[in-house]
Amino acid sequence: MLTIKDLYVSIEGREILSGVNLSVNAGEIHAIMGPNGSGKSTLAAVLAGRETFTVTRGTALYKGVDLLALPPEERARLGLFLGFQYPVEIPGLTSVNFMKAAVNEQRKYKNLPPLSSGEFLKLMRQKMAVVEMDPSFVGRGVNVGFSGGEKKRNEIFQMAMLEPQLAILDETDSGLDVDALRVVANGVNTLKTKDNAFVVITHYQRLLDYIVPDVVHVLYKGRIIKSGSKELALEVENKGYDHIINKE
Amino acid sequence: MKEYTYIPEVQRIFTCTVPGENIRQVFLVDGILQEEENRADGVFLTRGPEGKGLLLNINKDCTDRPIQIISVRSENLPQPLEFSNTWMLEPGAKAQIIVCDHTLKEYLYSTLRFSNIILGEGAHLDILFMQNEHGRSRYRLDLNVELKKNARLNCHILSLYGGTIQNKVQVHLLGPGAACYLDGLYLADCEQNTEYHIAVKHHSPNCHSSQLFKGILDNQAKALFNGIIYVAPGAQKTEALQANHNLLLTNDAKITTQPQLEIYADDVKCSHGATIGRLDEQVLFYMRSRGIPLAEAQMMQQMAFVQDVLKHVPNPAIRSRLEKMVESRLRGEFTKCAHCTMHCC
Ligand SMILES: Nc1ncnc2c1ncn2[C@@H]1O[C@H](COP(=O)(O)OP(=O)(O)OP(=O)(O)O)[C@@H](O)[C@H]1O
Ligand SMILES: [Mg+2]
Repeated sequence: MLTIKDLYVSIEGREILSGVNLSVNAGEIHAIMGPNGSGKSTLAAVLAGRETFTVTRGTALYKGVDLLALPPEERARLGLFLGFQYPVEIPGLTSVNFMKAAVNEQRKYKNLPPLSSGEFLKLMRQKMAVVEMDPSFVGRGVNVGFSGGEKKRNEIFQMAMLEPQLAILDETDSGLDVDALRVVANGVNTLKTKDNAFVVITHYQRLLDYIVPDVVHVLYKGRIIKSGSKELALEVENKGYDHIINKE
Repeated sequence: MKEYTYIPEVQRIFTCTVPGENIRQVFLVDGILQEEENRADGVFLTRGPEGKGLLLNINKDCTDRPIQIISVRSENLPQPLEFSNTWMLEPGAKAQIIVCDHTLKEYLYSTLRFSNIILGEGAHLDILFMQNEHGRSRYRLDLNVELKKNARLNCHILSLYGGTIQNKVQVHLLGPGAACYLDGLYLADCEQNTEYHIAVKHHSPNCHSSQLFKGILDNQAKALFNGIIYVAPGAQKTEALQANHNLLLTNDAKITTQPQLEIYADDVKCSHGATIGRLDEQVLFYMRSRGIPLAEAQMMQQMAFVQDVLKHVPNPAIRSRLEKMVESRLRGEFTKCAHCTMHCC
């Protein structure tokens, strides 16, 4: 589904990713761990199409398409989703209207007519239930005044609305209490099929108890220095990154 | 194709259905009232000095039926025009007024309207100014409002289209308990120029005023916001707020904003603030990452920006029409609407 080869990325002349290789197949869950500043969010943002970063080398193929050549909206319409580490607040735009626009853009792309208000509300209610979100949230400005945990839950709600084929979740577990963590994990597990894939970026092994990864990668200084089974996450948790870095 | 009803005695005048069904429409053509002096449902109306402008007197018998004052510049008078209006609400009267200004031709019209509004004790006025002419017109409003004890003014000014738009607004809070909510929205592009000179003057204690002005400027458009809150000696327990926020879409667009406070009383709560910003790249990326195309994302961010001004418009039917108008204005589709024969609103 996604094949990243030798990806180099820099910002303002500073190299942040230095040769990332990663291959994700349909039906898989990948976890990416790594110390602060190692480039995890950068990798996620570059895949989603953030233009502030410059790709200096390498390729990323998504379902056979040159992902890096597409604007962010087209990547989204092809089924890519980024759950933001820091979701953005948009005062003056309600979640309802935001999601209506997003869902209908996606439908337009698939040559489907826009959803009627009734159909849309029904879909929304159904997806809010998945993340146990209070309906009052969608009438508020997007993420405005949401707590850290509520913002993350809202990201999963948006993911549920858009039903992506490849979802990259950037620290969606950070700042969540145990109940919210279970809700987020449950959201992912509910949406998981053999045809889609997830890349979860996390600092904590805890999340991976709920969302069991097929592969765990350790990103360090812009490169994946180790990949392994879910036991690698335990090793990180118990012994820290230094141990792995020194061994490599 | 929709059938338009023309006012039979006035050629080329249209029926505007923007504000909904139940509305009293009053037409002024080149500053001249198009109906005889009359009195009905607590509303007395007649021509002003020299037969120009509109005198309105509204008493407590006035129903909640909105009054729409449609002022049109015709091709018969391309010269500059000045006229003055006086609109008076008797004590305890409540009224809703919508003022729409249009031009029938793309002449270099210049129009100056002096409008004096007097709100008697406990009177409530909701008033909306729709400034919607064309790129070569020169629109000037000189508005002076006096509020007596416990009177309340809810005033919205929407500068949608005009070559030069100048709004000079003075609000005098003359009796205790008077309250003034004053909002403005200006959307300008090309070479358009919009000016707001606002003064809210607290002459009496225990009055409240709140102002929110927002603008979006595209291309080489220019705007000036000059706002002053004045609190007279002895006007204690005044609460006065003012905010002016601007969004510049290009490097050539220019805004000058000068919020000022002039306070001569010590027990008051006053605040003011101004911001100038651009479209937020992070918000745009967030929207695009959900599949919303760039142009649409830019549009949505602008609509989000003006939302709180529109939200203050109390009549829901008018509010939703305004939202559509603002959106089509921002999309550059202005100014075509299925609701009237003019390509205006
Ligand atoms: N816009 C930017 N301008 C300059 N430097 C940046 C920018 N974005 C990221 N960086 C730098 O790139 C490096 C990698 O950042 P990134 O956010 O990808 O790390 P991360 O692995 O996600 O860290 P964390 O675990 O703290 O979220 C950091 O050193 C960061 O300072
Ligand atoms: Mg990060």
